[in-house]
Amino acid sequence: MKTRQWIGIVLGLAGFALPWLVQFPGLSFPGHVTLGIFLLAAAFWLLEPVPIYTTSLLVIFLEVLLLSAEGPLFLYAKPPAATPRAAAASGEFLVPASAVRADDTVLVAKPSGGAEKVKVERLEIAGALARVRAAGLSTNHAVLTRPDHWTVGYTPTAYRNFFAALADPIIILFLGGCLLADASVKYGLDRALTRLFLRPLGSNPRLIVLGLLVATGVLSAFMSNTATTAMMMTVVLPLIASLDADDPLRVAVVLAIPVGANIGGIATPIGTPPNAIALAALTKAGAGVPFVTWVIMALPLVAATLLISWVVLLKLFPPRTRELRLELSGRFDRSARALGLYAVFGLTALLWFTENQHGISSNIVAFLPVVALPLFGIVGKKEIHALPWDVFWLMAGGISLGTAIKTTGLAEWMVAQVNWGALGGYTIMAGLALLSFALANFLSHTVTVTLLAPIAVSVGAAAGRAAGFDLTTALVAVAVASSYGMTLPISTPPNAIAMGTGVLQTRHLVRAGSLIGLAGLAAVLLLAKFYWPLFGR
Amino acid sequence: MSPIYILCVEDEPEVLAAVVRDLAPFEVRFPIESAATAAEARRVVHEVILPRGKLGVVVCDHLLPGEDGVSFLVALQRDPRTAPARKILLTAQAGLAATVQALNQAQLKHYLAKPWDPEELRAVVRRQLTDFVLEQETDLYPYLTVLEADRLTEKIRQQPLPADR
Repeated sequence: MKTRQWIGIVLGLAGFALPWLVQFPGLSFPGHVTLGIFLLAAAFWLLEPVPIYTTSLLVIFLEVLLLSAEGPLFLYAKPPAATPRAAAASGEFLVPASAVRADDTVLVAKPSGGAEKVKVERLEIAGALARVRAAGLSTNHAVLTRPDHWTVGYTPTAYRNFFAALADPIIILFLGGCLLADASVKYGLDRALTRLFLRPLGSNPRLIVLGLLVATGVLSAFMSNTATTAMMMTVVLPLIASLDADDPLRVAVVLAIPVGANIGGIATPIGTPPNAIALAALTKAGAGVPFVTWVIMALPLVAATLLISWVVLLKLFPPRTRELRLELSGRFDRSARALGLYAVFGLTALLWFTENQHGISSNIVAFLPVVALPLFGIVGKKEIHALPWDVFWLMAGGISLGTAIKTTGLAEWMVAQVNWGALGGYTIMAGLALLSFALANFLSHTVTVTLLAPIAVSVGAAAGRAAGFDLTTALVAVAVASSYGMTLPISTPPNAIAMGTGVLQTRHLVRAGSLIGLAGLAAVLLLAKFYWPLFGR
Repeated sequence: MSPIYILCVEDEPEVLAAVVRDLAPFEVRFPIESAATAAEARRVVHEVILPRGKLGVVVCDHLLPGEDGVSFLVALQRDPRTAPARKILLTAQAGLAATVQALNQAQLKHYLAKPWDPEELRAVVRRQLTDFVLEQETDLYPYLTVLEADRLTEKIRQQPLPADR
């Protein structure tokens, strides 16, 4: 194991242990536990001693063990309690003096868990016992002898709520997208569409680079960026085989694919997991946006940065050849199953884009392909098994971490630590977007957004304190900025594929990726100022 | 990514040079090594190729001074490290017995008669390299510009769609 991974393990365990050893004023005990889980996850996700989806699984398990009502911690740890003894006079009881709280109440344990306040009248303190008069007490009750015990004041969540993250509506939305993409590749729809896009462009190399950017971008809006890159590489690499080995057009063509895929993924909620994570966080905070609204918010950005990318790629790598012959194979499959796929795809997309008219959530619509494609035999068990379950679990870990941060009061506590109001709403949003962009160059984009989304939501909870802060804008900016983190070969899997072709050198990728990424980030900051707040609530 | 080598074994220097020249288009991805005898070829395999990468294709003459080509190929087949390599005989004359032995014991993939057509030689090597890469490699993108792109594409499209992370 590498040093980096050892550091990750040590930091993760230290982060996990910290809240058990240090008391933070104002933070509940479950809040401490959640903070520990968050620090462990952050260290593991950042330094990757284990694969990132494994960390997500660990997060969910720790939440179930340590935060749920049925987990061993809250199942076995009961606050110490004592039965009130009847005193001489009727209606009077002897209870441990420590049980009587400053506001003249005692806490009575409920059989279902949790505790209930009962008003008492303090008559006399005799040693360790207090004589009280109370109408609401009986000798069958269990009075908590230590009302400040760490289990008091928190109603643990049912464990099913943590496991349920895997079936979160946003993951279902994503599942629908994945299955449509699988089926599309199976029936060659992606190839046929690419051909459709590129054929009218003739053999002008400059136009072809633009066509590749747009075609990749459009496919990537519905398929994972990585899958789109993988498929498009099989189209373009044979094309450039005929070019001179030192023609810069080779580089431009091979770079157009990951760039188009990274940018195109921004366009829809299903384009790439960071979008889904941000949308899940928005929905949990009661500020979810419909599928089509996301598209309307993202489309100007995508179009602008695709054009910028075109200019940048041609400036950096001006083609020497005047003509690039496109001989693309792939016609539209006309078999019954392929036609069924087109129908299901078309209907799903139509319903996604008309959500504002019919009002049915895109998450529900996404289950249409999940049901219809196997039902009509368009996909089978093979495609179901081949779904990216690691990514679903990765997202589920992020979603359940968000749930824990919210329900244990960690969110409010984090908000209270910084005087957000002094910063100004736009400064906070811009800062989050910058941080997302910076982290995403080195980290998994999903992890980046998973770590930043709870912070954005926390700030959103204190929205009143920061004038000009808009939660929708903040989370969209965080998600979208992560997609522009594409400077290095390790930044995104599409970049890694492009490097793996052997056509590029690292400096090609870094020059184009940093210019386009920074232009994208600038566009994000502009839209966050002038355009996205129009969609906030 | 460890390199996949092409090994050419031929005793006549001009002929060897011609073979290497004809295979030059592959050199951007597949380094080419050559040897004049079976003994030298064996040394190249053990001292140059295996320490650095894998042996992908052997283009071998049969009639060589000393040990003949077919028995060299059989020896390669017996070593698990070189067994997956695709064996091609490029020869003017290999008797029936030697050819049968090459087929049965060395998994001979192709028999090319001298004099050869350079296009045909390239097509044969391209096909064998594609087979080798399809069988041995998981990352196929580096080979799409050099080998049989349609077969590589088919394999890539059969694999589960990769996801973002």
